[in-house]
Amino acid sequence: MSTVNATAAPAARTSVRSRGQTTSLGTKLITALTVVVAAIWFFPLYWAIVTSLKTDEETVRAGLRLLPEEPTLKGYLFVIQNSDLPIWYMNSVITSVIITIVSVLMSAGAGYAISQLKFPGRQILWTLILASFMVPVSALIVNHFIIIAGVKLLNTHLGIILPMLITPVTVIVYKQFFDSVPREYREAAVIDNANEFQMLFRIFLPMNWGVTTALAIITFIGAWNSFLWPFLAAQNEKMMTVTVGITAVQDSYGVAFARVLAGAVLAGLPVALAYLLFQKRVTQAITLSAGIKG
Amino acid sequence: MADIRLVDVSKAYGNVRVIDNVTMTIGSGEFWVFLGPSGCGKSTLLRMIAGLEDINDGEIHIGDRRVDQLPPAERGVAMVFQNYALYPHMTVRQNMAFGLQNIRTPKDEIERRVDSAAKILELGHLIDRRPSQLSGGQRQRVAIGRAIVRDPKAFLFDEPLSNLDAGLRVRTRIEFAQLHQRMKTTMVFVTHDQTEAMTLADKIVVMNNRKIEQIGSPMEIYTRPASRFVAAFVGSPSMNFLPVKAVADKAGKALVTLGDGSVVETAIPTANLPKGGTFTFGIRPEFVRIEANGAIKGKADVVERLGDRTLAYVRLGDGSTVIASDTGISSLDTGHEIALGVDGASAHLFDDNNVAYSAA
Repeated sequence: MSTVNATAAPAARTSVRSRGQTTSLGTKLITALTVVVAAIWFFPLYWAIVTSLKTDEETVRAGLRLLPEEPTLKGYLFVIQNSDLPIWYMNSVITSVIITIVSVLMSAGAGYAISQLKFPGRQILWTLILASFMVPVSALIVNHFIIIAGVKLLNTHLGIILPMLITPVTVIVYKQFFDSVPREYREAAVIDNANEFQMLFRIFLPMNWGVTTALAIITFIGAWNSFLWPFLAAQNEKMMTVTVGITAVQDSYGVAFARVLAGAVLAGLPVALAYLLFQKRVTQAITLSAGIKG
Repeated sequence: MADIRLVDVSKAYGNVRVIDNVTMTIGSGEFWVFLGPSGCGKSTLLRMIAGLEDINDGEIHIGDRRVDQLPPAERGVAMVFQNYALYPHMTVRQNMAFGLQNIRTPKDEIERRVDSAAKILELGHLIDRRPSQLSGGQRQRVAIGRAIVRDPKAFLFDEPLSNLDAGLRVRTRIEFAQLHQRMKTTMVFVTHDQTEAMTLADKIVVMNNRKIEQIGSPMEIYTRPASRFVAAFVGSPSMNFLPVKAVADKAGKALVTLGDGSVVETAIPTANLPKGGTFTFGIRPEFVRIEANGAIKGKADVVERLGDRTLAYVRLGDGSTVIASDTGISSLDTGHEIALGVDGASAHLFDDNNVAYSAA
């Protein structure tokens, strides 16, 4: 018996080692693939930043130069001094912040009502919210334009903001979150004489601020990056948001790539900062809404 | 402190009746326990008193006010939930103060009440911690503290000990008894644990299948069960049940013949028994003793040594099994042929409808 054990043991060790080596090799391959994909993804971003730091002459010179020969901020200075970028920035900040705050508040309220309250038409309302997914935003854009034009809100902040407050995903995420809260918390709050607003703002939302933070960040990024509706709603240059404004920069500067890309980098800066600062929350938001967007 | 009166209270979900015509009066300052298996309706009944469930019929009074149409917060009760339902983002102090803030109690009054409750429950050193930083027993005390600060007319406890481990459960049970002695407030406690019910209650309400089987003091419930369900549910190990034939002896008491032919004299008057003569004989294991000259013969199939006593699962001649008890250090062992003596004065008979008949 001992002989059998003595011969079996090294075989087992070999098997473990070879399995370990396979895993290690697989991991290395996946890591290498991830690095390659990341590099492919990152290169346009890198190229935009590098180009924005080049002189106009260097941007059109033949050949691939991965670093600027004479780094300069002229492109940035030109865009800031000769365009309405600060105004567009302000417009983007105003609209995005208001959209984020109002949308999150409304969604929390709607999600709470549908999840926790019993009222006639609740199920129909819920079905409508779910059904709104089936209609792409672009299909509604003409309706939005006619309505907003009809109430004379084109070229106003309110005109840009109102249609962008329709965010069924956040309502659904909130409803799912509120559904997952054990009913005893609500009952304890009822016995504690809390009204519905106190329950929402003092019990349910604070229970997991992470959900609200994540949804707020992703809503802000979405609002900042949105192009189609602000492009239609803001025809006056003074009312444009950054994403719309930089297309004007591109059109008016012709082949001045450094200036165009400096505008693009400035436009994307807040979103990039939001990603960097709140990486974890953004991931959480994507996870929360992943099942919904399917 | 107030009494709680339920008059013909019923509750249905659609066509399914979950509480059927319940009437009871919980005396002011009494500790009542609703006892029964899962799904019997005991928690629903408690939640109806709290106002967390509407009632379909009947009336609920707390003190001199009818409350069944009032929202929970206006009924003057405080409730402790099975999972405590402490707000996880609030500290112990904030949890206890929340209800008082909502009724706009002055700040210094809130402080006074919270500090007083914390002192009673020895929570002073935990007052600034969050629930996640507390043990199960500490959370339990915070939940009780949250109830105490409201100075309610009655406390309602929904299986508050079921999330605690065995040792802590015993300690907390004693604390509940001490709390009731100190506060003298009406308390209603829901549990499926008969030990909790027997040790804590002034009165036990045994419920089964949406109905009240019996209301009585712990010893009444134990010694004079109203039905076979109560007899079987209360007591560990459970009561022995054997099919018997009963006739009247000269004194008008039931003389029962077991399946193996042995006869047991009981103290149950036959005048009250329904006709027919066939019953189920019920006797608790501690009243079936191992006696050298006992009338019932059998063989010990299984022997359980519990330290203070030994239980023997004895197979009788007809194949039925009886649990018998032997006190002290027992030499009894599996396979032993033994004789049993039954204390007929403590026996019960159950008719076909499972109604119990006991000695007068």
